[in-house]
Amino acid sequence: MFQANTQIGDYLVDEHGRKIKLHFDHGTTTLGFKFQGGTILVADSRATSGQYIGSGNVRKIIPITPSLLGTMAGGAADCTYWERVLAKQCKIYQLRNRVHISVAAASKLLANMVYQYKGYGLSMGVMIAGYDKKGPGLYYVDNDGSRMPGNLFSIGSGSIYAYGVVDSGYRWDMTDEEAHDLGRRAVYHATHRDGASGGIVRVYHIKEDGWTIISEDDCTDLHWRYQDEKMASSSQ
Amino acid sequence: MSAEMLAMSEYGRDPRKHHFSPYADNGGTTIAIAGDDFVMVGSDTRLTNYSGILSRNQTKVFPLTEKTMIASTGCWADVLSLYKDLQAKLTLYSQEHHDEMSTPAIAQLVSTVLYWRRFFPYYVSNMVIGLDEDGSGVVYHYDPVGHMEKLRFSSAGASVAQIQPLLDNQLGALNMKDAVPPKVTKALAHQLMHDAFISAAERDVKTGDSCIIYTVTKDGVAEEQVKLRRD
Amino acid sequence: MFLTRSEYDRGVNTFSPEGRLFQVEYAIEAIKLGSTAIGIQTSDGVVLAVEKRITSPLMIPATIEKIVQIDKHIGCAVSGLVADSRTLIDHARVECANHWFVYNQDMKVESVAQAVSNLAIRFGDNDSDGPAMSRPFGVAMLFAGVDKSGAQLYHLDPSGTFLHFCAKAIGSGSEGAQQSLQEAYHKSMTLDEALKTSLSILKQVMEEKVSSTNVEVAVITKEKGFTRHPQDEVEKIISAL
Repeated sequence: MFQANTQIGDYLVDEHGRKIKLHFDHGTTTLGFKFQGGTILVADSRATSGQYIGSGNVRKIIPITPSLLGTMAGGAADCTYWERVLAKQCKIYQLRNRVHISVAAASKLLANMVYQYKGYGLSMGVMIAGYDKKGPGLYYVDNDGSRMPGNLFSIGSGSIYAYGVVDSGYRWDMTDEEAHDLGRRAVYHATHRDGASGGIVRVYHIKEDGWTIISEDDCTDLHWRYQDEKMASSSQ
Repeated sequence: MSAEMLAMSEYGRDPRKHHFSPYADNGGTTIAIAGDDFVMVGSDTRLTNYSGILSRNQTKVFPLTEKTMIASTGCWADVLSLYKDLQAKLTLYSQEHHDEMSTPAIAQLVSTVLYWRRFFPYYVSNMVIGLDEDGSGVVYHYDPVGHMEKLRFSSAGASVAQIQPLLDNQLGALNMKDAVPPKVTKALAHQLMHDAFISAAERDVKTGDSCIIYTVTKDGVAEEQVKLRRD
Repeated sequence: MFLTRSEYDRGVNTFSPEGRLFQVEYAIEAIKLGSTAIGIQTSDGVVLAVEKRITSPLMIPATIEKIVQIDKHIGCAVSGLVADSRTLIDHARVECANHWFVYNQDMKVESVAQAVSNLAIRFGDNDSDGPAMSRPFGVAMLFAGVDKSGAQLYHLDPSGTFLHFCAKAIGSGSEGAQQSLQEAYHKSMTLDEALKTSLSILKQVMEEKVSSTNVEVAVITKEKGFTRHPQDEVEKIISAL
């Protein structure tokens, strides 16, 4: 999809040589993957405006329904507002149809909403994750209207680091604990290398009976925990 | 057309771009600190336009209900316009629902109202402060397009980058080994807020003259003004 | 009853010289053809009980839906032209969801009744606000919920009038049922008593023999919000009557 674009200096240029104003999901690491035991979402908590850290306590994983979650990357207000619109639509859907909305349908509602605003400058790169009668669900949705299902996504400036860690440890048949640990490590390592990510690493797990918060750890605590682990294993 | 006329008209000149900006940065700083049964909010009283001082006695904190206030800095025109808009919405709500809007409801409303101007934003940094339904103090902080965060203390506006680290250290005890956050009393909140404004006025040209501190409790709003540097 | 009927019962928004809107009065008459619905407000919550008319043994009773959920804390019972109620119910749901969206709080039951009333009296009113219903809605509704002022029961009729009731009956058996409610109701009624009372009054006014398949019961409490009363529970109450 982005292959038609080539980078010249600071700008992206399309096939006709026109400058493309490209958003990129700055100041964030979010990660989501499906595995045998459901869907895991992990995110950092840093919000930046320029060089200033506006907040170190943002909740980038947003409840939509008791069995659906959304993540945030890009414009904080864009993500929270549109995912709140989605939550409202899901409430109405549930009352009208007397069944919970599927992950596919919810993510498509969001994709269609933001597609209406294509070109207006919205900035969002989100995951919609949940559990429905088809099992665990995970979709990527962004502001140009892209929507795709997948087993593993990472979004944000720290995603390159998170992918590196996750790819090296991912297996479908992980236990719940292994999955939580892998997700947490991946985002921790991203916060360590990416200056625009940081704060608290929050791990969420979605199963058949809904989502739960698994852990919320300060990056600094994780750093020393992993450091101790490394020392212990190297001294053996 | 004569040569003189041609020289004076736009046609005779090199092409030039005319810029119009709908926004001004009129400065100002606000601080809010919540306690168990009160919330304190203050602003400096200086209003600027570039290096010119428009006013030395303009508060940036406005009442919304008996127990909720809003602190707004940034483009003054937008501050006034946003406040008017919110007042109208609050009146309409109290008439429609026969009830005063609660602080958490106002907090969500402000977020929504800010986002409705997503493509021509109010150029304003806001904090909503008040007592929630249990009577404890709350602070909500916003970005200009309505991203909201609920906090125990916060600052906004021109000197935020100087004041917020002070609050994080003194009230949050963040990243301090073995430090515990203090119990926030009115005396502590007042002292800290006063010190913060003095320090900001020392180093920031957009903050100064005086600060007005409002204390919201279940008995109403108390107001106090303290002088700052006027240079 | 309507001996003075004249050309004034044609236009839905034309007053008769006596100051009456006949179409609205006829719509209120239409409710009296509907199945009976009862609402009782107690301090712990509100009970809604509705008669389901099973007109054929081949009909699947579960598809009759006369008590619906509006939001997690509000339910609604309808009587009259049930098809008309669908529009109003959807409006109520959307209003509740929008209220949550803007204010992040539960909408008050009174406000929901007001919002639905605003739509109910827009009949014959096609204008810049969009198309409207061409005639009055032929339904009465009981809005039951729990909000910050506690358990609430509101009645709305086709004229758009909505009023707060401690206990209210609508539909064909409403006259007798309302009389019985007046005798049975007291301020310290418990939820269980209200359940029993509503079903025993339904038993009195229904033509068919009351059973757990031809009534629908829902309870709205502060703790659990809107809940449908399970069929076996209803059966237990009925058999104990």
